[in-house]
Amino acid sequence: MSYELRAMSYEQDRAPGAVSGTDWGLETGDWRLDLPSLAPGQVGVLAGEAGLGMTRLGLVMLSSHARAGSVAYLDVRGWLSPVAAWEVGIEPERLVIARCRDVVRWGKAVAALLDGAAAVLAEVPAGAKDASIRKLAALARNRGTTLLLRPLDGTVPAGIAHLTLEAREISWSGAGDGHGRIDRRTTLLTASGKTMRGMTRTIEMEDDGSNAVRVVSGVAAAETKSVAG
Amino acid sequence: MRRGEAEGICPLVVTVERDYSAEMIAFEPVVAAIEDLIPNVEVVEPGLVFVPVGGAVGYYGGEGPLVERVVKEIDRVAGTGFRIGLAEGPFAAKHASAAAMGDPPVYLVEDDEAFLASLDIATAGREELVATFRWLGITTLGELARFPRSTVASRFGTAGLNAHRLASGRDRALNPRDLPVDLIVSERFSPPLEDLEQAAFVARSMAGRLIETLASFGAAPFRIVVEAEAADGTVRSRTWLSADPLDDRAIADRVRWQLRAWIDGVGAGIRGGLVALRIEPAHLSGTGRQLALGEDARAASETHRAFAETQAIVGRDELLQAHPQGGREPGERVAWHRWGEEPVTRRDLEAPWPGRVPGPSPTLVPPEPQPFHIEWDGGMPTRVRLGSRWVTVRSWAGPWRRVGRWWRGEETGDQYQIVTSAGAFLCEVRGGQTWLTGIYD
Repeated sequence: MSYELRAMSYEQDRAPGAVSGTDWGLETGDWRLDLPSLAPGQVGVLAGEAGLGMTRLGLVMLSSHARAGSVAYLDVRGWLSPVAAWEVGIEPERLVIARCRDVVRWGKAVAALLDGAAAVLAEVPAGAKDASIRKLAALARNRGTTLLLRPLDGTVPAGIAHLTLEAREISWSGAGDGHGRIDRRTTLLTASGKTMRGMTRTIEMEDDGSNAVRVVSGVAAAETKSVAG
Repeated sequence: MRRGEAEGICPLVVTVERDYSAEMIAFEPVVAAIEDLIPNVEVVEPGLVFVPVGGAVGYYGGEGPLVERVVKEIDRVAGTGFRIGLAEGPFAAKHASAAAMGDPPVYLVEDDEAFLASLDIATAGREELVATFRWLGITTLGELARFPRSTVASRFGTAGLNAHRLASGRDRALNPRDLPVDLIVSERFSPPLEDLEQAAFVARSMAGRLIETLASFGAAPFRIVVEAEAADGTVRSRTWLSADPLDDRAIADRVRWQLRAWIDGVGAGIRGGLVALRIEPAHLSGTGRQLALGEDARAASETHRAFAETQAIVGRDELLQAHPQGGREPGERVAWHRWGEEPVTRRDLEAPWPGRVPGPSPTLVPPEPQPFHIEWDGGMPTRVRLGSRWVTVRSWAGPWRRVGRWWRGEETGDQYQIVTSAGAFLCEVRGGQTWLTGIYD
């Protein structure tokens, strides 16, 4: 499974003085061509309905931290398939999955995970309090642990996220009318937040799942990128 | 025998996971009965104890009367089914007990070296080492013992030396070291702990602390003494012994088994709750666990502590890890196990698994298939219901026939991949009903 940034088609809400879309190019080796990433202690939000690919994107982002230590997934639904995590390059020994449906214990569990994991991807249950999420964001900064929040219902409080990725559209290729099988996904998403230097950008990403057991690290996958638009 | 092999021979076989705690509950009365006669009983695992009998032989007037008393006591608390071996060293005693027959089943070894010489080389150590010995024509411990120690050491290293020492009747040479600190870890609880899970959680943290301290001296214990104090003032202790250095997980497991045996077993239990727990290491080895290059022992310890705390918050069965295993369905390809426990894979990963769902794998797989509403037109899916709205099907693949385990009453089903503007779904039509089995999120 590999993720590649295929195109950055246009930008929205340009901040004053920000570089224009035409300034982006492969030849510059610009960081913006890579999958947006988060440094230790930063908070990311992955928004979008189930089915739009945000869980796998979160796992891809988690995989870059799995080289430094164990990473944790807080599974509110209890549906996460670890096979998808292995496909994006997370070693089975490095992935710990905590299941917690209870909103009160959810905050405590995320806080405990932030104390020991290199990065935490937490589904946010409906009913989680804004104050509790803000405390967790502060704790992540304090501990230097990357925190990715995946709200299942509703939103997270404004101002806490260094990067917000929101899925807009998804399309699959490979399947026809009763023939073939799905093999490649294109996801259109918007990226905003402090790490995007004040701009909201639309990003198109593809992931190729032709070989379910192939494991490609995030770094290797980033090298296959191409740019258009 | 592997599980797959067993199921091949008998498809109806039921596999039951070994429960050490339950075994220890059953074994605890035996240990207590022996301890009433002879002090310093050392438990190796549920079902196996070593007892130093040097002093007791003199006290009871010889090996015969001593064995007679022990047999009588064990017979009283546990009935038949036990075996006793008596030898100079624990290794010979263990194999003597395995060879014991008759009524009562007791084997007294006169000469350890002579007894061990006849044993099969398989008792010497790891499987691959034994295979090499066999390939070289060495089939018994006696044949191995006849080789010069230096020759075995140069060819097989430490593992070979250990095997040679055992074959020669010299058990593991303990190398006790005097360390300039008090290594006992203990905790007092107020109010007393009344829940085994809480006590086990504390034990895990104590074991982590103990190993961390020992690691700074490059040492690891072969023996621990677990001591528990009840609210009524009763103090109980038990010694556990291991052939290999104990790590934090092994220590925590043994404390947990022992506490459960005391709480749930026959006897007074821990009345009023646990007010103090103490773990004393002994028989320290000269070398602790070797850290990997770049491994940060402190960070690993912090991670361990954080996950143990998470486990206490979400529950023991809700902090999980998983390992790949063979299977056709996405859910079947995952072998789950509790964090902190050893993974157990049940299906061969390398087997071909024809008909398995092709990649990419769905990211979300419900533990049980969920009802899924699809509108069909002439055998083709046209719309999918997601919550309260209907979404048009853009493309679809399938059906792939899935033949279940008919001998277990599983139905056959047809699997489909359904692609909509809201995502792709893996589903199965079975018995006239459609079920959601995965979401490609």
